[in-house]
Amino acid sequence: MLLRNPFTKALRDNRRSMLGWAVSIAAVGTMYAAFWPTMQTPEMADALAAYPEGMLEALNFEDVTSPAGYLGSAVYGLLIPLLVAVFGIAAGARTIAGDEEAGSLDLLLAHPVSRARAALQRFAALLVGLVVTGALLWLALVAIRGPAEFTAVGVGALAAMTLHLVLFGTAFAALAYGVGAATGSRATALGVGAAVAVLGYLANAVLPQVDALAWARDISPFHWYLAGDPLVNGVQVGGVLLLAGFAAVCVAAGTWRFTRRDIAV
Amino acid sequence: MADPAIRTEQLIKTYGRNRGLTGLDLQVETAEVYGFLGPNGAGKSTTIRLLLDLIRPTSGTVRVLGLDPRADGIALRRRIGYLAGDFIVDGRQTGHELLTYLGNLRGGVPKARITELADRLDLDLGRRIKGLSKGNRQKVGVVQAFMHSPELLILDEPTSGLDPFLQQEFVAMVREAKAAGQTVFMSSHVMSEVQQTADRVGIIRDGRLVTVERVEELRERAVRRIEIVFDAAVPADEFTTVAGLSDVTVNGARLSCRLDGRADPLIKAASRYTVVSFLAEEPDLEDLFFTYYERTETDGVAA
Repeated sequence: MLLRNPFTKALRDNRRSMLGWAVSIAAVGTMYAAFWPTMQTPEMADALAAYPEGMLEALNFEDVTSPAGYLGSAVYGLLIPLLVAVFGIAAGARTIAGDEEAGSLDLLLAHPVSRARAALQRFAALLVGLVVTGALLWLALVAIRGPAEFTAVGVGALAAMTLHLVLFGTAFAALAYGVGAATGSRATALGVGAAVAVLGYLANAVLPQVDALAWARDISPFHWYLAGDPLVNGVQVGGVLLLAGFAAVCVAAGTWRFTRRDIAV
Repeated sequence: MADPAIRTEQLIKTYGRNRGLTGLDLQVETAEVYGFLGPNGAGKSTTIRLLLDLIRPTSGTVRVLGLDPRADGIALRRRIGYLAGDFIVDGRQTGHELLTYLGNLRGGVPKARITELADRLDLDLGRRIKGLSKGNRQKVGVVQAFMHSPELLILDEPTSGLDPFLQQEFVAMVREAKAAGQTVFMSSHVMSEVQQTADRVGIIRDGRLVTVERVEELRERAVRRIEIVFDAAVPADEFTTVAGLSDVTVNGARLSCRLDGRADPLIKAASRYTVVSFLAEEPDLEDLFFTYYERTETDGVAA
């Protein structure tokens, strides 16, 4: 029964939107992956060679001549992580702040539930959405590996990349959740989430092109997500820990503040 | 003596520029119906949100059912039913889904109890809440506040949006709750919303309690219009001298007047004739209520 507690209720309330995101993201990822055979033509290689290197780098579009390189760029490099981040930020901002601004949080908190429990259970439901998204994308890519001619990329490598992707989404969901829980403002949560996503992207892909700014890469969630090339080398412990640690800090700090502040009318 | 149901001492809540509460001393006894009256912005909702631990006091103490809303919030809220004036919930769910969920948060409420209350209020639980009128939405709120028969009902302007028939049903529910030993704390900005049920009314203004009155005493003091029809013409001067009467007019067998205070002298005087009918209007406590406002306001200026 999905009406038992705030966790199952959140799953139930958001089932359509979460499933919509999961299916859309998996569909977009599958579509791009399916283009791989057409990318192997010499014409395409020439066309890409004509782009300035900095621009390709900025688009996380580097080695596109191997299947892993192509998937890492076209699927996992920019578009899919961006969609996952947007999903995480939107859902994270809604978890507490959206409900509070709508005025419907009062009723839940007037019931015998602790604030921390209510908030964390809702966040857990959001995590389920991200995991489902990752799983769906992974299953879709595993299914088209043969037909789309990228069997060189192993099922395990896809799983490692997916784990990184889910944690990347979790980091942004946790950030928006934490800011929303701490401030009660959905706009602030969305704004901070979007700003960190944009700055994180620039810090990983653009700023390091200037040598003096190479350090910026180290504090970018995009770098934690992509560094070490998990699609080739498997799970990268450093990146995983950084993403998970960042998420944990955001969730803990936001929840802590939420249990201590006034709920807005 | 048992703990009062609600007790606040020197309760102060300031937020931003708004003053909220400026030193509220409130005491609500167990098993009484307490009407908490005041104009909009006087601090009624602030008080209620403090009782529920939705907001935290700047200073002062709060005890509800003997517990601290902050430290023992979960145990406390299990024993409370709360209804806000504008009952806001996610409209995508049906009344049944919402009430089942809220019941589960309280450890389960029998389905029969929910159905019984919904039937009583003529509420269709199968419809999505966003498709309900404001009045029907408020009924969902009434059901969730009453369904677990809480020891303490905290009702913030509860009948806003309910039609007169349902307001009567609501009055009956409050009376039953009182008869069952439940305490009811009910806020309103109009006396008429609480005068039928409240034992006492407290008047809040600018964040502090201005006065607390027993409704029975207010009623005794209130002026009401009386009309008596006798079986034959009566002499007017027999009544003009009766204590508490004013505006006496006799039109043949029909006497109309205004009664200030107890009805006994009038009844004694009337009983010397044959009374065909006796009509005493419900006193307008609203008038009295505003008299208080004006008086305290004048006092405030004088002080």
